[in-house]
Amino acid sequence: MVFERERVTALSAPARALGVQEGMRRGGVQLLAPQALLQERDPLREQGLLEQTALALLQYTPQVTLAPDACVLLDVSASLRLFGGMRALCRKIGVTIARLGVSATLSSAVTATGAWMLARYGNVRTLRSRSLQRRLDRLPVVLLSAAQAHLEWLHGLGCRQLGQLRRLPRPGLQRRCGRALLDMLDRAYGDLPELHEWVVAPPVFKARVELPDRIEHTDILAAYAQGLLAQLAGWLAARQLSIKQLHLWLEHERGRQAVAPTALRIALSVPAWQEDHLHTLVKEKLARSSLPAPAIALGLAAEELETMQPASELLFPEPGGSPEDHQRLLELLVARLGADKVRQAAPRADHRPEIANRWCSFMQSATELPAPLSTDATRLPPRPLWLLEEPLPLRMQQHKPFYRTPLEFTSPPERIEAGWWEGRPLTRDYFTARDARHAYYWIFRQWRGGEASDEEPQWFLHGLFG
Amino acid sequence: MLPPSSPVHRPENIHPSLWLASQLARGGGHGVSSGFEALDAELPGRGWPAGALIELLLPQDGIGELRLLRPLLARPPASAQRVARVTRAERIALLQAPHQVNAPGWVHLGVQAARLLHLQADNAVDACWAAEQVLRADSCHALLMWQPRLRTGEHDLLRRLHVAAQAGQTLFFMLRPWSCAREPSPAPLRLTLQAARDGLEIGFLKRRGPLREQSLFLPLTPSPNLQRHVPTVDRRTPATAAAGSIPSELAG
Repeated sequence: MVFERERVTALSAPARALGVQEGMRRGGVQLLAPQALLQERDPLREQGLLEQTALALLQYTPQVTLAPDACVLLDVSASLRLFGGMRALCRKIGVTIARLGVSATLSSAVTATGAWMLARYGNVRTLRSRSLQRRLDRLPVVLLSAAQAHLEWLHGLGCRQLGQLRRLPRPGLQRRCGRALLDMLDRAYGDLPELHEWVVAPPVFKARVELPDRIEHTDILAAYAQGLLAQLAGWLAARQLSIKQLHLWLEHERGRQAVAPTALRIALSVPAWQEDHLHTLVKEKLARSSLPAPAIALGLAAEELETMQPASELLFPEPGGSPEDHQRLLELLVARLGADKVRQAAPRADHRPEIANRWCSFMQSATELPAPLSTDATRLPPRPLWLLEEPLPLRMQQHKPFYRTPLEFTSPPERIEAGWWEGRPLTRDYFTARDARHAYYWIFRQWRGGEASDEEPQWFLHGLFG
Repeated sequence: MLPPSSPVHRPENIHPSLWLASQLARGGGHGVSSGFEALDAELPGRGWPAGALIELLLPQDGIGELRLLRPLLARPPASAQRVARVTRAERIALLQAPHQVNAPGWVHLGVQAARLLHLQADNAVDACWAAEQVLRADSCHALLMWQPRLRTGEHDLLRRLHVAAQAGQTLFFMLRPWSCAREPSPAPLRLTLQAARDGLEIGFLKRRGPLREQSLFLPLTPSPNLQRHVPTVDRRTPATAAAGSIPSELAG
């Protein structure tokens, strides 16, 4: 229940059921609903919320403006085709508004003033000027803000609806009520052009939301972050930018037991601007991080930005999505598993198998990687598909290396002698061997004291042929 | 008297999803050929089904399971002029690989190193989550997942993965130990593999079709990742030395 100057201005449905009405005094409300939460109206925060909403709605059209009575006006005439028609657009706007944690009534009309008046009346969608005229004729005169001062006089005339007001003689109406009322009426019906001051996206994005309580559940935090991301999406769309790094911070208790805010940075390998993708990344990141203390506020800032480069659509799209979809998959995997767990091959041209087989994170760009193996690699003797982390020492049985069963050589030896330039010389004879159960292994023979010494060579298992 | 073409005589003609217990299923669409005629003939849809969970049960790693999949995974190497960009039809994801993946070895198998995506997760739940994301994105040709025995209560994960696989066209192989054969599984195709001399013995544990008791032997040799390939240009023919004709400078 919200109060302004000791009078109820807004109330919830349960309070209404208890008999509370707009305009009641505080004492009366406390008598009717003693458990009700009473809040003082905060026009500054209301204005802030309205501006946040306008910013988020910039993703649907660059022409957004604020109107009195907590209304946001959008010029969507150019966006209808892009978003698939009025119904689809309204559904999307409804989703965005719900993500911000705001409830709204949506109305559309061919004139901004008309839509503004319809929205304050209820959910009304009109697409043509004739249906708008019919609807407007039935609206109460109260909705015309220029007529507020003359309301009693108009009601005295029996003029309660806009249709009746329009039928009054215009010169007389202008003399008594002034030019403003007629102008507003004409703008609503589309007889006069309208001028608006469009909302301009700020040059730097930084948004913050205070949480209603101390929250330590990351799922709930992710839901609040969604509102911030909706604003970010609107801001990015308005400025035609895409983001490379997000900075999300969680503020904790202030005052005596102050805890430093937790900062989370989310880096993207390919700049993105899609709200849903950013939200899944933030959600996974939040789920993986542990909070030192309950959070009381959330903040979001855009750090590294690039110009937006929307993918060009193909006439015959490839099944299974575009390369951008694959990039998004990789980012999602990195967000949950960690950058070192999502890897790509970066083989090196070296004869030592441990060195030749190198893997690196997918987040490294392709330019940092060495050139891929030349096709000559296939001219080397066979290599196994799996390498063991550490070569496994094998014992000997009847002069044959033994791993579960005695091993039998199926290939001539391959000598690998390298590494002397790094001070770690390595001399190994590799063989392909087969055990009694017909599985193939890659084993090697190594002399500890050099080939010339009398010591018995040691056998190791190094790889498996899949 | 019913005409011989009546549906009662040939009930399998009523709908493609109907088949007799003695026939292989036909409703699942065409599979991706395994590259082995004998195996294709035994698989419903004449090949590996895309968009389904396929279980391969192994007694141990490295018995030839990847040589079995080689015709499916291998592609001819890209020419130098082509832009080094991996398309969906080439991408292969490896999840929870049992050992280090040796990229040069995969090149021998016909899988260029750039086509591999190697994923490693800390636990079974994270691994299944990653598999689900890969399947849902449907941007890889094949997903190979190594899954050890699941604990009780984790069997729902398999069902979830099978449902996720059905949404796309990814070939989804799950490689599990032999001991899982006794556990129930939602996979429509479960094969047991066993190494045999120069090939694999394939047992049909579960398939949409008649029961097959005896296993199928598939020869896997010669396989390019196992057989030594000696480039003919580099081979030097040794000088044939006739008996008793030692060069004079050595003999002296």
